[in-house]
Amino acid sequence: MKLKGVQQTNWIGVGIFVLIVLIFPFVVTQSFLLNHATFTGIYVIVSLGLGLLMGYAGQISLGQAAFYGVGAYATAIMTTTYGLSPWIGLIFSIAIAALLAYIMGYTMARLSGYYLAMATLAFGIIVHSVLVEWRSVTLGASGFYGIPSINIFGYTITQGIPYYYFVWAFAIIGIIICLNIVHSRVGRALRSIHDSEIASSAMGVETGKYKTQIFVLSAIFAGVAGWLFAHMSYSISPSSFTLDASIIFLAMVVLGGSSSVWGAVLGTVLITMIQVTVHTLGEQFTFITSEFEHVVYGLILVLVIIFMPRGLFPTISSWLNNKMSQRSSETQEKKAS
Amino acid sequence: MLEVKNVTKTFGGVVANKDVSFSFEEGQIVGLIGPNGAGKSTMFNMISAIFPPSEGEIIFRKQRIDKMPTNAMAPLGISRTFQNLQVFKNMTVVENVMVGRHIRTKTGTLRAALKLPGTKKEEVSAYDKAMEYIQFVGLQDLYDHLAGNLALGKLRLLELARALATEPKLLLLDEIAAGLNHKETKEMSNLIEKIRNNGTTVFVVEHDMDLVMSICDKIIVLDQGEKIAEGTPREIQSNQRVITAYLGAEVEKNAQ
Repeated sequence: MKLKGVQQTNWIGVGIFVLIVLIFPFVVTQSFLLNHATFTGIYVIVSLGLGLLMGYAGQISLGQAAFYGVGAYATAIMTTTYGLSPWIGLIFSIAIAALLAYIMGYTMARLSGYYLAMATLAFGIIVHSVLVEWRSVTLGASGFYGIPSINIFGYTITQGIPYYYFVWAFAIIGIIICLNIVHSRVGRALRSIHDSEIASSAMGVETGKYKTQIFVLSAIFAGVAGWLFAHMSYSISPSSFTLDASIIFLAMVVLGGSSSVWGAVLGTVLITMIQVTVHTLGEQFTFITSEFEHVVYGLILVLVIIFMPRGLFPTISSWLNNKMSQRSSETQEKKAS
Repeated sequence: MLEVKNVTKTFGGVVANKDVSFSFEEGQIVGLIGPNGAGKSTMFNMISAIFPPSEGEIIFRKQRIDKMPTNAMAPLGISRTFQNLQVFKNMTVVENVMVGRHIRTKTGTLRAALKLPGTKKEEVSAYDKAMEYIQFVGLQDLYDHLAGNLALGKLRLLELARALATEPKLLLLDEIAAGLNHKETKEMSNLIEKIRNNGTTVFVVEHDMDLVMSICDKIIVLDQGEKIAEGTPREIQSNQRVITAYLGAEVEKNAQ
């Protein structure tokens, strides 16, 4: 049922997106591009959670890569050191990321402003240090080798097309979960906190509770992404979970726009495309090194913040809406005259 | 219904309210008036638990509320509007009022995420209920407009609808008529009387004397943080301390 005047999920849009994801491997057959598309799916899961946290709970996390790393290492330890099934690893990836976020979020629910940003920044640095230094468990800077593949109904999900679909199945479930939350009582409560926290709590909204819940949810998303990353990569090391990675996740959300679920998806796709382009150009021109990527990210962040602070997706969609309503009013006027 | 007992509020060295006590019963429209800086808004903020009093007690329906968090007020039955307009401006009119239905609905994050059975039904009923309140205040033509695009008079009505959507027992209106023209003020006072007649007690802070004198059953007067009078509109209008407070000591001197 359509409730006019209330933000609701556009299921046609979701359907089109699913279709694009489904046919992508048939159109793009180069294996390195498919590999990047699979990674994009993993990053989308992280940025979805981060987007919800930033755009709806109004909090910034500068340590999302740490939850991502916790998810990856939890499953690596469970499956490689203890020889358990990756599915049990998934439970640990989710539980440990969620628990850490809950402890942090619970203590900070009463605080507002940039406390969570600072705390997550510190958390990211601590997690990275632990991964490097706690050698008996994490195997130090060289990391884990021989992380097993995932089996589902006796079928091994190998790299390439199977893993691509596997990752994007999770990403699409993630998108649907986010859309469901955003377009619900909880989503409205979160949006109201964003506009006026005082009025929101006067209406009885438990602002701290929802902020904590969304923070935990964002950590769970990052944990699941870490799990997918670990079982795709065969090997993991602390270098994938640095502050740099957290900032790239942040760039994805800021570029796409955090006030929309699709913004996080768009931002992630664009940043990955930039990565691929820089790499490809780097093969042809020696002066373009991987450092060049960071210059591009920095430039993008500055330009987006100056020229479209809401991010790409909300800016484009409101521009399109204006165009459409202009056109419809023009045709109405024509009919009238 | 509401009892304010020896409430004092200081901000640093500034005394906003000093040893104020009053109480009123259900089913009335009660006015809180006083010159600028009398401490009216401070009193309202304490009754709606935006901040606690420095000393004293606030009791609502036999329950002490002065140490409770802000979000505990709406479930108890206290709702309010804001003088400086705290609408959710990036949300539509109906979405704003649906936030008012927050405490009357219960879909949590997990249920919402998985769209479990029943969530849709609750959403539709919250929507329908919100539309009733929008109709009540007369905003039905604007229900799908973004709140940020509304004119001031409409925003005041929207705040009223949102506060009513929580189904309060006590409704606090903080200068609800400020900035309204004569016609809008008249409509607003009609609405407030209607709300009282529907069984909700209304407590208003107001500068518009015509409005206060015409609709209030009881008036409490603050001046420089202290209560100086309490009574019916007729009693207040003839109270010498109130006249002095409003018109200044010189008038009193001239009169003598």
